[in-house]
Amino acid sequence: MARLSLASLLLPGLGQYLDGRRARGLGILGVILAMLGLIWWSLIPQHLSLESRPIPLKGDPANLAWLVVPALIWAWNVWDAARPETARGWIPVSLASIMFFVIGWQAAEINPPVLASNVDRVMLIIRPMLEPDFIQARAEEREGWVELLVPCPAEAPMTTAGSDHAIGVALDAPCGSVGDTLTVTATGLTPDVGVELIWQSPIGDFFPLRQADNPTEFRVEKPDAQGNLTTTFVVPNAIPPGIDPTLPQEQRLYIRQSRPLGGWELSTNGRFILQGIYETIALALMATTLGTLGAFPFSFLAARNLMSSNAFTLGVYVVVRTILNIVRSIESLIIAIVFVVIIGLGPFAGMMAVTVHTIAALGKLFSEVIEGIDPGPIEAIRATGANWLQIIRYGVVPQVVPAFTAFTIYRWEINVRASTIIGVVGGGGIGFFLIQWINLSDYRAVSAAFLAILVVVQVMDFVSAKLRERLA
Amino acid sequence: MLEVQNLHKVYPNGTRALTDVSFNVEDGEFLVVIGLSGSGKSTLLRCVNRLIEPTQGKILWDGVDVTAATGAELRGVRRRIGMIFQQFNLVKRSTVMTNVLAGRLGYVGTAGSLVGLWSAEDKAQALRALERVGLAEKANARADALSGGQQQRVAIARALMQNPQLILADEPVASLDPVLSHSILQYLEQLNREEKITVVCSLHFLDLVHRYATRVIALKDGQVVFTGLPQEIDKARFKEIYGEDAIEVKAGLSA
Ligand SMILES: Nc1ncnc2c1ncn2[C@@H]1O[C@H](COP(=O)(O)OP(=O)(O)O)[C@@H](O)[C@H]1O
Ligand SMILES: [Mg+2]
Repeated sequence: MARLSLASLLLPGLGQYLDGRRARGLGILGVILAMLGLIWWSLIPQHLSLESRPIPLKGDPANLAWLVVPALIWAWNVWDAARPETARGWIPVSLASIMFFVIGWQAAEINPPVLASNVDRVMLIIRPMLEPDFIQARAEEREGWVELLVPCPAEAPMTTAGSDHAIGVALDAPCGSVGDTLTVTATGLTPDVGVELIWQSPIGDFFPLRQADNPTEFRVEKPDAQGNLTTTFVVPNAIPPGIDPTLPQEQRLYIRQSRPLGGWELSTNGRFILQGIYETIALALMATTLGTLGAFPFSFLAARNLMSSNAFTLGVYVVVRTILNIVRSIESLIIAIVFVVIIGLGPFAGMMAVTVHTIAALGKLFSEVIEGIDPGPIEAIRATGANWLQIIRYGVVPQVVPAFTAFTIYRWEINVRASTIIGVVGGGGIGFFLIQWINLSDYRAVSAAFLAILVVVQVMDFVSAKLRERLA
Repeated sequence: MLEVQNLHKVYPNGTRALTDVSFNVEDGEFLVVIGLSGSGKSTLLRCVNRLIEPTQGKILWDGVDVTAATGAELRGVRRRIGMIFQQFNLVKRSTVMTNVLAGRLGYVGTAGSLVGLWSAEDKAQALRALERVGLAEKANARADALSGGQQQRVAIARALMQNPQLILADEPVASLDPVLSHSILQYLEQLNREEKITVVCSLHFLDLVHRYATRVIALKDGQVVFTGLPQEIDKARFKEIYGEDAIEVKAGLSA
């Protein structure tokens, strides 16, 4: 007994192991090693980026205190080595659980207060989301502009004005400095319809002028009954950093008016959404069709009851089944990344990814259907002297068609969902637009895309449920 | 002639289904195999056309060593041996016609049969075979729309499509009403007498054995315990084959 305790003191679990309680011995050793590893890891300061932003909770030297837990378990293990075989080990199990949980909490960077403290950010997203950007009132955009130099050069320049829709724009001065108040006159406007004043910086950026007394709102001016507008504005500071502000630069003031034409039309983003949805559905359809055709031959090779007649076919079975299992376990999103690298961005890469995943997933399901069929007819067809392909065609295929059809329709539903998201990694379809709008924080477009996806998925689910009902 | 020599079958799980089984079947015989269930009848019949691989022993048929045949040669052997099963083994969702045509698979090209193209000759033969079993008007029905007795007749028509010289029938009437037993066995008897097709058939009921067999072999625990004429099976033999507790029952309704 003392001998066993001594062994466990030298190496945790050794005493138990020598006593014939091998699983227990190895378990104790494993737990202690895992704990030491975990504590060591929790002491290393973690850096996520080159800016060496430390994650506060990790790398805390206080974690060294956790060493007491493996030490306690070590001690317990010395005592345990001399105990009878049936004794329970709830003490080390609960000690270890507590430690794993606390360090796991740190590793996951769980920080509940953040949930509450940043709640106001939600509104920044929710508000635009309540106005999905899909359709807009039909309107005709017209604009005219005038160029000026900021600041004024030594010699007075000529002003140029331009317009594509007969909106004439003129200034009372050909140049000005930042902060000067100038007067602009515009003619040829539609009476009583709001006009936006938009500034173009020397490098071509546009930004609307804001109201002097309320800088969060854009300026909107109304022309008079003759379609003329005269108003003043303050020359804004539009020189980008790095450019000498004393050097005169050409800048422009745009007068833009959008004239309602009545009725509604798709917005630009709405058009993108339609295009994305169209791509997504086409992608899902192609992937399901090609995937089913591809899964069909594989499923026969992956069906044990058809492949167990000799060692060679059994080998083929094992290889095909293993490949199907591996590919099936990889998300189509991950497969898509590979195809985007090979093919490039676009629906083709997404379709290939969903197709490959469909082949693997349906191949497995189909092969299970085949394994469950009545062996009698197969035996009967084999007895007629038919070869393998003929046995498949006459003994197997007629039995599996209904289940194959049901699984294919079910897969179609899954593929519609997969195709909506595949664009996030560049695989085309609505997801491709969605991820860009998310990155641009264009939440109005995001919410319209969400709604479109919702509608498509619901409609497709409904259609396929009806189809399956018909076939059942 | 069919010669079975010292046939052994041990299943992978260790079950000894056949032990040193030897017998001959002359052309034109109607040989009935009897024995309790589990005695090895199905295993024996399936060894003959290699639906089951024998562990040891030899089967010669028409001078060809069936046990040594592989690939195309084996399929060539199989296509001349029709087989009928207790559960009929029709493809239930296919039509009767398709089921019967399947009997020709050993004779036709792979490509044509895969796309379902059948020659006019084959179709005509299939109709004749169906007429022969009295089911010509059911040609386009789905197989599972037929009664058990009708399905077994379709199975006979399928076997006929093989132009068989030998028919193996594994308890062909065990899943049918006794009334129908005679109707099915009479078709087999007719083929045996008129077409000189050898029949090897396993049966359960002794009255059927007496009525149809030209010769009988009995299996017990995978061994042949009796070979002889049906009328030689008296009370003592019966107890020997079926055990002390057995009592004879009849399929009923003599033909
Ligand atoms: N595939 C199999 N695997 C293992 N044992 C089997 C298999 N098929 C049949 N057996 C066994 O072989 C013996 C003979 O079976 P079988 O030939 O079906 O007898 P019968 O047709 O006379 O009822 C039985 O003990 C049965 O359990
Ligand atoms: Mg049997």
